[in-house]
Amino acid sequence: MASSSGNDDDLTIPRAAINKMIKETLPNVRVANDARELVVNCCTEFIHLISSEANEICNKSEKKTISPEHVIQALESLGFGSYISEVKEVLQECKTVALKRRKASSRLENLGIPEEELLRQQQELFAKARQQQAELAQQEWLQMQQAAQQAQLAAATASASNQAGSSQDEEDDDDI
Amino acid sequence: MAAAAAGNGTPREEEGPSGEAAAPPPQAPTSVPGARLSRLPLARVKALVKADPDVTLAGQEAIFILARAAELFVETIAKDAYCCAQQGKRKTLQRRDLDNAIEAVDEFAFLEGTLD
Repeated sequence: MASSSGNDDDLTIPRAAINKMIKETLPNVRVANDARELVVNCCTEFIHLISSEANEICNKSEKKTISPEHVIQALESLGFGSYISEVKEVLQECKTVALKRRKASSRLENLGIPEEELLRQQQELFAKARQQQAELAQQEWLQMQQAAQQAQLAAATASASNQAGSSQDEEDDDDI
Repeated sequence: MAAAAAGNGTPREEEGPSGEAAAPPPQAPTSVPGARLSRLPLARVKALVKADPDVTLAGQEAIFILARAAELFVETIAKDAYCCAQQGKRKTLQRRDLDNAIEAVDEFAFLEGTLD
């Protein structure tokens, strides 16, 4: 979780994420705990290694921000060139997603509804919702009242029939 | 949907992780169906990158691909270590298998500092 110690050097990739990857890579294989721990640390080291190299490449390129290209070059220069083709697939997906997002937001803008109108509609919806809530609350209140009344009535008739029952007994006695 | 190949013992050579996840991190490419979701939390990867005092700025896409590279690294080193375990006729992967894998592969030389 978030580290409150403030010491950035204690950061690692969460163990759970590593465990999951190990499980998917080696299903049905038991892995000792200290081995897992080592993988966590190695993964962290790897990230430091690549980012450090990418940073150097970035500095040399007069750019301020580390770009995907810098990372790719870092992978190449450090002997991880075999990762590059898969890594580029991620890049492709990023671009696709970004493109879709841009298209979606421009579609929204082109609906032709100006912002004031949208705001007005929103207020309307809120007012409606509030009204519905109020009506619902009132209904519930009424129902509660009715239920209470019925309960009272039921109690009243019950005791009334009890009384009627006992007076009948007396009459019977008289007849005999 | 995505068929679970895990547990069958079939070699996973075709693709990486399939695109299924419970709670995807906000910035990852998830809206594309079948998108490869990073198994590593991107915020943490970013934090690790920024922990380097020399690093000023890293772009979002750079973080994505770095996370993917780290995944590949874990997969690779795990498989290499497993080979060592198999050679030793063991079914449980142990730390020494990783040690051996690290020593055997030149590119993993940077890890020798992590071995205590």
